[in-house]
Amino acid sequence: MIDLFKAWFLIGIQSFGGGSSTLFLIHQACIQRGWLDEEAFTRAWGLVQISPGINLVKMTVLIGFYLRGWQGVIASMTGLLLPSATVTVLMTAGFTALRDQPAIQSILKGVLPAAVGLSLAMSLQMAVSLLGRAWQEGKPRFSLHTIILIGSALLLSLLKMSPLLVLALAGMTAMLLHLALPVQQKQPERG
Amino acid sequence: MDPLLYFWLFLKASLFSTGGSGNLPFLHTDLIALGWAQEQDFLTALAVGQISPGPTGLWSISLGYLTYGWGGAAFALLALSLPTLLVLLVASAYNRMEKLPAVQDFSRGLSLGVVGLTISVAFILANSAIIDWKSVVICLAALGLAYTNRLPMIVILIFAGVLGLLVYGG
Repeated sequence: MIDLFKAWFLIGIQSFGGGSSTLFLIHQACIQRGWLDEEAFTRAWGLVQISPGINLVKMTVLIGFYLRGWQGVIASMTGLLLPSATVTVLMTAGFTALRDQPAIQSILKGVLPAAVGLSLAMSLQMAVSLLGRAWQEGKPRFSLHTIILIGSALLLSLLKMSPLLVLALAGMTAMLLHLALPVQQKQPERG
Repeated sequence: MDPLLYFWLFLKASLFSTGGSGNLPFLHTDLIALGWAQEQDFLTALAVGQISPGPTGLWSISLGYLTYGWGGAAFALLALSLPTLLVLLVASAYNRMEKLPAVQDFSRGLSLGVVGLTISVAFILANSAIIDWKSVVICLAALGLAYTNRLPMIVILIFAGVLGLLVYGG
C-alpha cells in the first residue's frame, strides 16, 4: 500500500508539462514494476477513452483497482492527485499575488495567446485523427463527420446551445446516419 | 455563490466529458453565464494546468482557486476525482457491449462533438487573449510548434512568456 502510494506520488510530482509525460511515466512504472503488460495497458487506455473524467486519473483508478482493489484505488489516486493538485493551487496563488506587476502583465500577454494556440493544436490533432479514419470509409462518411464537427462548434458559439445537448445530438446523428451511409469499399487503384 | 451549485457545475462538467479539457465548454458556458468567472480566469487556469505537474486536466483546480479560493480548489479536485470511478463500471460492461456497432457509432459522433466544442471555446477565449497582430503571431507559432510536437508544451509557454516580456515590457 505504502509502496503503491509512493510510486504514484513520484509519477504525480515528476510529470511537469502536461499529459503525455504523465502517461509516459505511468507506462514506464507499469512495465518496470510488472503492474500490467503492454496488452493490458493498451486495453486499459482504450476503456479510459469512453468513460467520464480525466484519462490519466481513470488509468490510475483502473491500475490501482487491478492491483489492490478499493484500497489500491485510494492509495493510487491520492498519491497521484494530492501533490500535483497542491502544487497547482500554490502556482495559481503565487500568480494571483503577482498578477498586478507590470512584468507579469507583459509575460501574460505572451502566454495567453500561446495557450489559445496550444488548445487549438490539440483540437486539430484530434480532429485530423478522427476525420482521417472517416476518410478511409469513403467521401459520404467524411462529409458527415466534418459537418458534425463544425456543426457542434457552431451550435455552441452561435446558438449558445448547452454542451450536453450538442454532444447528444452529435452522437445520435452519427449513430443514425451511419446506417444510411455504409462504409464504402476502397476503389481499386487505376494505373 | 451557492457552494452546492458551484460543486454541481464542476461535477457535471467532469461527468459528461472525457479527457483533460472536455469539461472546458461546460464550465465556460455555466460559470460565465452566472458571472462567477471571467475569460481571464479560464486562460490563466489553462496555462497553469499546462505548466504544473500532473495531468493537464488539473487546470480546473486552478480555475476553482481563482473563482472560489481554497474551497473552490477542493470542490474542483473532488469533482474531477469522483466521476473517474465510473471507469470500473465501464470496464465490466464493456466486455458485453464492445461489438455493438451502434455503441461505436455513437461514441464516434460524441468524439467529433467534443472536438467541435473545444475549438469553439478556443475561439471565444481568443477574443480576450488576442489583442494585436503580435499576439496573433504568438498564437499561430504556438499552434504550429505544438501541432508538430516539436517542443514540449511547457517550453512553448516559457518561450511565449519571455517573448511577451520582450515585446510588451517597457
